[in-house]
Amino acid sequence: MNTKKFGKFAMVGVLALSLVTTTTNAIAADSNATINIGSLYEPQNLDNTGGGGQGVTEALNGNVYEGLFKLTDSGKVENLLATAYKISSDGLTYTFTLRSNVRFHSGKTLTSADVKYSIGKVTAANSQSARKSSFKVVKSVATPNDKSVVITLSSRSISFVYNLSYIWIVNEDAKDISASEDGTGPYTLGTWKRGSTLSLNRFDGYWGSAAKNKQVVFRYFTDATALNNALLTRAVDVITSEQSPDALAQFKSSAFKITNGASTTKLLLVFNDRVAPFKKPLVRKAITSAIDNKKLLQSIWGEYGTLTGSMVPPTDPWYENLTKVNPYNPTLAKKQLAQAGYPKGFTFRLDTPNYDPHPAAATFIKSELAKVGITVNINIITADQWYNNVYKKLDYAATLQEHVNDRDVVWYGNPNFYWGYNNPRVISLINAAEQAKSATAQTQLLKRANRIIVADAASDWIYLYPQIVVASSTLSGYPINGLNSQFFAYNITKG
Amino acid sequence: MKIKSRPLTLIVGYLLVGLLALVALVSLFWTPYQLSDTTGGRLSPPNLQHLLGTDKLGRDTLSRLMVGARIALSVGFFSVLIGAFIGITVGIGAGFAQRRIDESVSALLDILIAFPTLLVAMLIVAGRGSSLSSAIIAIGIGMSSIIARLTRLLVKRVLAQDFITASRASGTSWPRVIVIHILPNIWPTLIVSLALQFGLAGLSEASLSYLGLGAPPPNASWGSLLQEAQVTVLTSPIAAIAPGLCLVALVIGVNLIADGLRSQGDPTLRKI
Repeated sequence: MNTKKFGKFAMVGVLALSLVTTTTNAIAADSNATINIGSLYEPQNLDNTGGGGQGVTEALNGNVYEGLFKLTDSGKVENLLATAYKISSDGLTYTFTLRSNVRFHSGKTLTSADVKYSIGKVTAANSQSARKSSFKVVKSVATPNDKSVVITLSSRSISFVYNLSYIWIVNEDAKDISASEDGTGPYTLGTWKRGSTLSLNRFDGYWGSAAKNKQVVFRYFTDATALNNALLTRAVDVITSEQSPDALAQFKSSAFKITNGASTTKLLLVFNDRVAPFKKPLVRKAITSAIDNKKLLQSIWGEYGTLTGSMVPPTDPWYENLTKVNPYNPTLAKKQLAQAGYPKGFTFRLDTPNYDPHPAAATFIKSELAKVGITVNINIITADQWYNNVYKKLDYAATLQEHVNDRDVVWYGNPNFYWGYNNPRVISLINAAEQAKSATAQTQLLKRANRIIVADAASDWIYLYPQIVVASSTLSGYPINGLNSQFFAYNITKG
Repeated sequence: MKIKSRPLTLIVGYLLVGLLALVALVSLFWTPYQLSDTTGGRLSPPNLQHLLGTDKLGRDTLSRLMVGARIALSVGFFSVLIGAFIGITVGIGAGFAQRRIDESVSALLDILIAFPTLLVAMLIVAGRGSSLSSAIIAIGIGMSSIIARLTRLLVKRVLAQDFITASRASGTSWPRVIVIHILPNIWPTLIVSLALQFGLAGLSEASLSYLGLGAPPPNASWGSLLQEAQVTVLTSPIAAIAPGLCLVALVIGVNLIADGLRSQGDPTLRKI
């Protein structure tokens, strides 16, 4: 090949390569794509202080609404609508500076009055926010000017900034956000067809980097198999949380990507610690030792999921593996039952939500406890019945439930919570941890509290769910962890 | 003398339902493994220890299918009993009633029939809570309107016959007319309908259990077996195929029996 020919050949090659690259980039950077997200968790309503459920967090948190701070997918707290904050030397006064040029979707500029209104919405008497109790320390909220908020606490709260990441900043003029919205996030609410879809449209007036896609459509399913089929047929691009390891076989091809991220969702066997026989820690320990949690985890999740032995997932700073505190040991369980005054066991009702994996877990628990003489009557209930009878009326002996939040071991410091665990030492340690002056001190105190909670077998923390996201291989930029059920959509690209 | 032969459909139907009944009966005394036995390993394929493999909790699928047969047949039997009692009583009452009452009852029955049995059953189960007895009552009540409507029609037809007028003229009381004339005359048609309802009741129970509204765990209804197998169908297809085949066998068996009984009872279908 002479030089001239080589030159022509090289030029054609370069042109072809640049054409391919340009085309690929054009596809990869399709900023007008619609991302279809498949989920099993449709919101009950669109207000996270009105019992919207985990679906409302998944769809709207970080996408439509933003807080002063953001809990990232990796569990870090970052500034969001607050650009800076100062803490007084006594740790009781927080002064926040708000980001400028932030507009709500309705067009109004964000002011400190909106922040005050939003905090009040969470702490209101009728608020159903999961973090409501964390804000009991708020003594007053002052708004010296439009860009500053001064919050005074009644006692130190080292988690205060973290807790603020749970509060959506809502336009104070938006009185009812149960079916509409007025947030500051990168998306506005499109349409919500109940039982079917919820769409979000890119907000052109967003203060930060614009969303990398034009529209996001959450498509809701009540059946996991139908959801899997939707991904197979490309009706959805991604499944936010796969619910069965056995469904993954169909996605093990180059057309799909499977990720196993960090989760904060725990499956609990919750005892009503107020009532006999669960008042006695020895009975609770016996039950915990009688159930082979490892086998149950493998039965439900195969090779996925984690045993923690406590409420604390590995993403929490105060995590310790405490699986050996109450080891699986039916012989020990029988001894403990005898010591507790129940040598022949007893009978109790296990209120079991009617959706997976609870019925299967209840069946396994019944089978395990029968070996130590305990008879379990499985009572299948709906989610509504669980909320009304178990959570509100406390009319139960034991129940199964998953808890999705991180850093929620502190709820064992609230004796009025639905499980009724009341250990003054734990309450004192958790309060001290909250008032600690450093994160190290907080971590040490919460580790101590957690060890006592586990030694008391306040509940049986069966396992930590895996967070399996399955997506089309053409998709990128989606979150792989499931902290607090958030699913940030703004970085997702298709192509 | 010509030996009266039974239709082949009837024989096959009896064989299928009889086999399931035998399995259900045996399950009262023996199953290969206890339902609480979770030692079989997760989703074991069929092997010599577990002929139909195991479910994800390690329970023997064959044992669960055997218990499922008991549930399906008992739901079929008892719900048909409830449905027949209510339906025949209302149907005979409507058949004898004055025009306005009859029309009102007929309209009510039409409205009830317009609701699918499964929907009625779901409403009742939702009110009473899910249990086997709830499922039986719900399905029984759900099917009673269909039986009542058929019974009313048959009673009306029989009442129009001359022998009823003759019987009444000879001083026979209405209750006696019902026992000696009406019931024997409507029974051949009713039994076919009841047989069909038996199969549908088994199917309805499976549907309710599939939806989580039937027998609570650890009861092993075929419907709940199917529901559980849904997510493992790719890795353990036998867990879905086996209860599905059992349901098919029950419904086909019962339909064949109904068909056979109809052939036997209907002179127009007999071979000359």
